Amino acid sequence: MSKRKQQQLNDFDDPEFLGFAKSYLSEAFPNPQRIGCPPDSQLQQMAEHPVEARDAEISDHLTRCSPCFNRYMEMLANLRRGKAAGQ
Amino acid sequence: MADDDSAGVPRLNSLDRHGRQIAPEVFAAAETVFSRALRHGTKLLGDPAVVVNILEEVAATVSQRLLHSDPPGEATTTRNLAGYVFRAFVRHINRLKNKEHALLHAAIARNAAAPKSADPSRQFEMQILLREYLARFSFAEKDMCWRRLEGYAWDEIGKLQGLSGHAARERLRSAVKRVKAELAEEKGKKSLPSGAQAGQNEELKPAPRTDVKKKATTA
Repeated sequence: MSKRKQQQLNDFDDPEFLGFAKSYLSEAFPNPQRIGCPPDSQLQQMAEHPVEARDAEISDHLTRCSPCFNRYMEMLANLRRGKAAGQ
Repeated sequence: MADDDSAGVPRLNSLDRHGRQIAPEVFAAAETVFSRALRHGTKLLGDPAVVVNILEEVAATVSQRLLHSDPPGEATTTRNLAGYVFRAFVRHINRLKNKEHALLHAAIARNAAAPKSADPSRQFEMQILLREYLARFSFAEKDMCWRRLEGYAWDEIGKLQGLSGHAARERLRSAVKRVKAELAEEKGKKSLPSGAQAGQNEELKPAPRTDVKKKATTA
């Protein structure tokens, strides 16, 4: 691949980066006591209709809590499956 | 294969990229739906040249099908050939998009399951970048990032933000670029040699009056 093409590549188009990021975020922050975790209903709301004023803290929380990150990924996957089935 | 006209807009060719001939009536039908197909296909796939190649392939397939289904000399039974070509084109594009989603999903899953020690320095670099992205991205950029990690296509992400798939991709790409530029700038400041930093500080001080001492010694 040419150098110019490589520079144009977005990390979020790179399966290696995406795979690493998903694996890292799903394991690196175990948070066994579930400190500061939002309820499922709030995660679901953010998955369906993200609103900055309401969800900014939850989005930040996902960057440091693997259980919530994994739950949110599940919700996004279900939402996507639901939309695909509805089409 | 798709040729470009003088304005740079790709146009149809009577042969597809595999060298299959497109029947004249199918070619005319493809020409009729060309602009609609180009608009629709470019929205989904991004590259007009790829879209035109696909339309040519579809037209060639339709030509072959007509050739085999109609006995020579008989009129074709397809009444709305242009509509038929367009529907076949849309089906083909949708199949390609689904395949692309499935491949991306599989690649993410494969890389997520890959052993972490594959290339420690690359892993470390990706870890730092990821943490910086997440710390510096805006809410909307982070939302795009979460959905991308779950294997959403750019079109799906764009729809949520009220953008096209291409615009969503560009937005996250420029956010990545912005963060990398910020990091490079911070690194540059930190790695300045102490002499250079002192030099920078001295620029802010008033210049020393060397001429005063010289005058005193000469007097």
